[in-house]
Amino acid sequence: MRSVWSAWALLLVATAVSAQTSQLERLNTALDPATRRAVLAIVDSARVAKLPAEMLVNKALEGAGKHADGPRIVAAVRALAGELRVARNALGSGSRAEEISAGAHAIHAGVAPADLTRLRHSAVGRELTTPLMVLTDLVSRGVPARSASSDVVMLARAGLRDADFTVYQRSVRQDIESGADPAAAASTRARGAILLRRGGGGPPAPLPGAVSGP
Amino acid sequence: MDELVAQLRRPVPLDRSFDTRVMRAIRTVARQPLRMISPLMPMPKWRVWSAFAAVAAGMLAVAILPAMKQTQQGRPVQFVLVAPAARTVQVVGDFNGWDATHAAYAAANRGGGVWSVTAPIPPGHHRYAFLVDDSLWVPDPAAPRVADEDFGKPNSALVVEDTP
Amino acid sequence: MDGSADALIVERVLAGDVEAFAILVERYRDRCARYAMHMLGNREDADEVMQDAFVRAYRSLGRCEDPERFGAWLFRILVNRCRTAGARRARRARTFLTDETALLTASEEHPAEQWAWREEIERALADLRPEQREAFLLKYVEGLGYDEMAELTGVGVSALKMRAMRACDRLRVLLKEVRSA
Repeated sequence: MRSVWSAWALLLVATAVSAQTSQLERLNTALDPATRRAVLAIVDSARVAKLPAEMLVNKALEGAGKHADGPRIVAAVRALAGELRVARNALGSGSRAEEISAGAHAIHAGVAPADLTRLRHSAVGRELTTPLMVLTDLVSRGVPARSASSDVVMLARAGLRDADFTVYQRSVRQDIESGADPAAAASTRARGAILLRRGGGGPPAPLPGAVSGP
Repeated sequence: MDELVAQLRRPVPLDRSFDTRVMRAIRTVARQPLRMISPLMPMPKWRVWSAFAAVAAGMLAVAILPAMKQTQQGRPVQFVLVAPAARTVQVVGDFNGWDATHAAYAAANRGGGVWSVTAPIPPGHHRYAFLVDDSLWVPDPAAPRVADEDFGKPNSALVVEDTP
Repeated sequence: MDGSADALIVERVLAGDVEAFAILVERYRDRCARYAMHMLGNREDADEVMQDAFVRAYRSLGRCEDPERFGAWLFRILVNRCRTAGARRARRARTFLTDETALLTASEEHPAEQWAWREEIERALADLRPEQREAFLLKYVEGLGYDEMAELTGVGVSALKMRAMRACDRLRVLLKEVRSA
């Protein structure tokens, strides 16, 4: 019995070491030495602060994959580390890594940390990754950050599930692509989504002047 | 000094999810085989060491979960891009270390300008984009955007649920 | 809410009723929060330390020799965790009142000038040496006797009295400067 458990523990250690080694090896080959040193220093600080450090490694690998220069990669990693910290402060230290990741992107898009906290308080116990992702998308498409936050908070408070948030995001996207004002599209669709959640209405209708259909 | 003490004795606002988070952690501890070993309760040595190894294995499993995201594991997700003029389309993102040479994420031309690939994506929040002809980065038109154009090239977001 | 004595709840938890531990969490979290926040000056650290303390208390519940005084026993764990956290994070900025969460959740109850005064108090606390701050908080905010404090901290009564006295003197000076400014 003892030897079985010991073998299992050793196997896990070996797997962990080899997986993390390959991640770092990719950094070794993808970045020049100076950039790699700077990135690893930021990653180490993030690990100490118990932030999702793998996001920073991914950011560096993204930069390498997109052939960005060293200083730009370091700047992006550093900025993301700061955003992760702010996101965690706003969402609470008990937040999941995915929530902190999505929160950091929302902050990068221009959402205020206070609005992340508002979202957290509006839906206690609910996992926020998808609502945060939808919020970031709305802001990226031109919905002012404050009104997008209010819409998403309202939807979370109404108890929308992740799947409903996805439908909401698609509807708003289609409306905007059809020429609708982003803020109007977001708030109109939000009201419709809540109505649907409460059992009223049919499929969301297109805004006046927009082309309907997929 | 009285005023100072009175101020310091005021309640401190606490995150409303605190109790929930603590009990979640407590339940996790309660599920572990090594629990509430008290010096008052004599236990055979082999059981103590076995339980200790089990907990160590559990903790190591938690430590490597992030590493497992980088392996070929996860739930199948279909990626589709309409690109009639493309010669190659690759899905590149966090889940494959932004490595454009990953064969598992190379889309196939289905005809009519439709490219698609179904690939395993680990649970979590991911960023990705399509790389067309090894040179053009294209966000997924069907997916939420991520406002992180740090490198001048847009990305899309994807959330893969933990539960099947 | 369950008003059973701590000893009864401890007995239930040890018998396997894990959920009963939530009663103890609810019963003691506010007091723990007050101490941890003032000691560490940082919401994130305080939250983490408090969680750690409760989980440790659960894990070693079988070693609580006087379940009737679970609260005091838990508090001892918390004080120790705060010491460890404080030593490890000596350089982290004290962000009690620049924390937006605090502002959001408490702004309805505390007008701006009260917040300014609280901020000055926190700055003054931050200026104290950690052992003086600990003695001050335990004695004057938590209302413990010196014997209790000695048992909790492992420090002698006369040393604790000296620390608390120096803390008071320093705070008076700092806050007098603020008030007269």
